[in-house]
Amino acid sequence: MRHPWRWIVGLLVLGFLILLAILPGGAKQQFEVAGEFQREVLIKLPTVGPFDLSVTKTVAYLWLTVAVVVVVAIAIARSLKLQPGRFQYAMEAMYELARDGIVGGVMKSGKKQWFPYIGGAFFFVLTCNLIGLIPLPFGEHHQTAFYAATANLNVTLMLALCTFLFTHYAGVRKNGALRYVKAWAPSGAPPVLKQIIWLIHVVSEIFRLISLSVRLFANMVAGHAILAVFFAMALIFQSYLVGLALQGASVLIYMFEIFVAFIQAFIFAILSAVYIGGALDQDH
Amino acid sequence: MNDAAAKLLGAGLAMGLGAIGPGVGLGIMIGKALESIARQPEVAGDVRTNMFIGIGVTEAVALYAFVVALILIFVA
Repeated sequence: MRHPWRWIVGLLVLGFLILLAILPGGAKQQFEVAGEFQREVLIKLPTVGPFDLSVTKTVAYLWLTVAVVVVVAIAIARSLKLQPGRFQYAMEAMYELARDGIVGGVMKSGKKQWFPYIGGAFFFVLTCNLIGLIPLPFGEHHQTAFYAATANLNVTLMLALCTFLFTHYAGVRKNGALRYVKAWAPSGAPPVLKQIIWLIHVVSEIFRLISLSVRLFANMVAGHAILAVFFAMALIFQSYLVGLALQGASVLIYMFEIFVAFIQAFIFAILSAVYIGGALDQDH
Repeated sequence: MNDAAAKLLGAGLAMGLGAIGPGVGLGIMIGKALESIARQPEVAGDVRTNMFIGIGVTEAVALYAFVVALILIFVA
């Protein structure tokens, strides 16, 4: 037998894995995926009218996102050099993506006017999604947990509502209210069909609001639920072997979640650009 | 069949059946995008941008099914 030590090491590894498989694994613990998304009140503030102003986990994460975006923006704006370092290079790449890829590639008129909103939405949603992948101690009973501010339908609904209001504001400001609303039905259509097409367009405008918010919300919730399940699968299966085998899978799914965070921010920004551009160039 | 069992069964069916359509649609769309990039490499950037828009819109349909499943499990 050549290289006997290879066979010995192989047998030892196999024995170790079998030992892991048959050992009773860990304490019996329950794992609730829904516990990741509970909203715990951090600072209790009074209720003003129908609005409960107390600071919850979501509000704290939103403030953290705003702080990060503002600090990064001020830091990069103050240290611009002719020969960019790595940080400036990355920021310039993202700025160029927002300006030329998103706004420049999709909108035909109103690029300069609407770039602040769309670029701002892109960076804000991106930062929200990425901060959701960093474990911070805001969890229940001050545990360290993952949570994204955009994994909350209220937050994404407000972001989509901004896009919705800006779309109609842009259209009304450019064309006047009556002409903008009338352009929703194609001009060369027979009388009854024209009203039906107009109604369908109204429904599709409302559906854009719902789909924009639910897309971002459901992507973030699904991503975090999958992350929670993968990280805790050793607890669910109560076996050490499964826990060891899933280390690599957890890392892979975490990398995929980073990719999804970028893609969802990009899609939110580019769909906002498409809607606002569509309202501005209606006779297309 | 009692209530809780019916809800869980409905949630499983909703997500499972609701992922068929978007899966097929994504495969067709990304395949066509790959074909067009292979045919004409200089429009790769434009094609890729529009492909991502299409991916976002199509995956949203699968996520509506996911939201319905979540509603069935946790809310209803």
